[in-house]
Amino acid sequence: MPRLAFGVALAVLLTITTAGEVAAHGERAQEGFLRMETVAFSDVSFSTSTLGPGQNLTISGNATILDSWPETLGEPKVGYVNVEAPGPVMLMKDRTVNGMSAPDAIFISKGQTYAFSMTLVGREAGVWHIHPTFAIQGAGTLIGPGQWITVESGGGGTFNNSLQLLNGQTINLETYNLAQLTLWHWLGFLVALVWILYWIIPRPTVTRLAVTSQIPLNSDGHEIGLITRRDQRVAVWFAIGTVLLLGAGWVYQQMYFPVKIPLQVIRLTPPAGQTPPRFAEVQVQRADYDPARSTLSMDVRATNSGSAAMTLASFTTSTLTFVNPAVAPAEHMLVADLPATLQPNESRLLRLTMQDVVWTEERLIEVDKPRIDIAGLLVFKNTEDVEDRVAVRSSVTPKLFP
Amino acid sequence: MYLDRKWDIVFWITAAFFVGAAADITRLLFAGDWDFWVDWKDRQWWPILTPFATIIIPSAIQYILWAVWRLPIGASYTAACLFLASWVGRVYQWQDFVNYPLTLIWPATVVPGAILMDFILLRTRSFVLTSIVGAMVWTLAFWVANYIPLAAYLQPVQFMGHVLTVADVAGIEYLRTQTPEYLRQVENGTLRSFLDQTQYVSLVFGSTVAVGGYWIGQALARFIALWPVGRGIKRL
Repeated sequence: MPRLAFGVALAVLLTITTAGEVAAHGERAQEGFLRMETVAFSDVSFSTSTLGPGQNLTISGNATILDSWPETLGEPKVGYVNVEAPGPVMLMKDRTVNGMSAPDAIFISKGQTYAFSMTLVGREAGVWHIHPTFAIQGAGTLIGPGQWITVESGGGGTFNNSLQLLNGQTINLETYNLAQLTLWHWLGFLVALVWILYWIIPRPTVTRLAVTSQIPLNSDGHEIGLITRRDQRVAVWFAIGTVLLLGAGWVYQQMYFPVKIPLQVIRLTPPAGQTPPRFAEVQVQRADYDPARSTLSMDVRATNSGSAAMTLASFTTSTLTFVNPAVAPAEHMLVADLPATLQPNESRLLRLTMQDVVWTEERLIEVDKPRIDIAGLLVFKNTEDVEDRVAVRSSVTPKLFP
Repeated sequence: MYLDRKWDIVFWITAAFFVGAAADITRLLFAGDWDFWVDWKDRQWWPILTPFATIIIPSAIQYILWAVWRLPIGASYTAACLFLASWVGRVYQWQDFVNYPLTLIWPATVVPGAILMDFILLRTRSFVLTSIVGAMVWTLAFWVANYIPLAAYLQPVQFMGHVLTVADVAGIEYLRTQTPEYLRQVENGTLRSFLDQTQYVSLVFGSTVAVGGYWIGQALARFIALWPVGRGIKRL
């Protein structure tokens, strides 16, 4: 016994001391090459990191269904923009995709960019890790960049989930109709309880086997007093009572809720975003990855087919955006070996280097996977401040030997 | 006699946990989401799948209690146990722990249908007739008993620029992160509906499917529960 107790204590101790902290939603769990080839999140922003109950948080950004979408996942046709959160800590109050209201799932297609905006309301006090997500039917949910959001209990707001019905009545969705529902359910249970007790209290149960085993299955044993005429009469009254109860309930719901509609399904295709003029042509000629230095290099042939000078601004893959430091400072940098500004009709071979531990941390390029790929959006911006997002995809040559 | 009654009490209380768990697991396996979320409780799939899923264990227990003790309370006892298991799970696990409101996650009840099905067995003393008439009554009673509390959640409301039901709004507002809306299997229109009467077609089809569920329960009781026990007793 002491050995067992010691063993259990040791197991608990080892579990507690060796277990890592779990504080996210598995955004790194999916294989990196699938995350990069499917949906690229860009310009994701959270309107605030602190709010009170009942106060608003808006999450907006872009999600692009890449042309590199793997055929193994099936054609993306239906998607759903949502939020990854630890339960209903917030409420979804509004959701638009490309400016269109999108309460339910939407029809989607490859190559399209969906500008989303979601307005949430703080419900439960705490510190929550929140992500926008893009779920694709048949494939799964792709998780966008997350942020810690604090819902302060004394944050100045008051949570109240009121909703106005079309008949003008205002309800609280947290508690609506619960009293009637509970009463109705427990009333039925009470009838069943009396019915059961009627059969098991006045007569023995276990010892009846000795008698029932001697009579045929289709006999109720009335001749030996197992089920009496009185029992039959009582059963009839229970059946009548149950039917009357159901009838009364039906009349009640017809009286109090005369106007009802079936559950609604809203399936719409968001309007296409404005098609930007295409002026950048890109061809990835080679990509290398050094796992030891967590460095990705790409040789890219870029051509400016537009009428204004263009500059390579960034590279977006999965939830990450690597920014050209010549354009703007950023957390993740994309360094070009030559000036990344191209004049009209100019073509240049650029060697782009992204040395960042995030490649390893996010498990984006791993050499033990069936595909060692890179995919994403190269974003060029011209002097007229117009962006051209070019989808690229290339196999990657990993540095496997020192 | 005193000893017998003590065993009776031990049996009924102990069995309640097993029966409730078996009924709940069966329901979750075959009709989990339909029974769980208010915005899945539609008039096309819900009356087909949930009566089928919930009749299996009541049928099995009905056979056992009738065959062994001539007690016509098998379905009612199972329904009552399932009722308690559902409410304990929804209130303590899903409302208090995960913080979903009961308005979104209230369970369906099968209690009225169970009482009527037990009554039919008592009157007919036939499992064949009970399977046909009882399963139909079971499905109809399921719909009536649960449409009564559901009616309030089918009130129309304007939300995000669309006319939806209160149930739809609850499903949208309360975040279910790994349950994208497109997974919701509810009535969404079909050219094959009979004279546009989706609900009645579903109830008729649901009744037929429930007959099948009833006999699955009978098979469980006859060949997995009682037959091995009978063989064991004969050997002794």
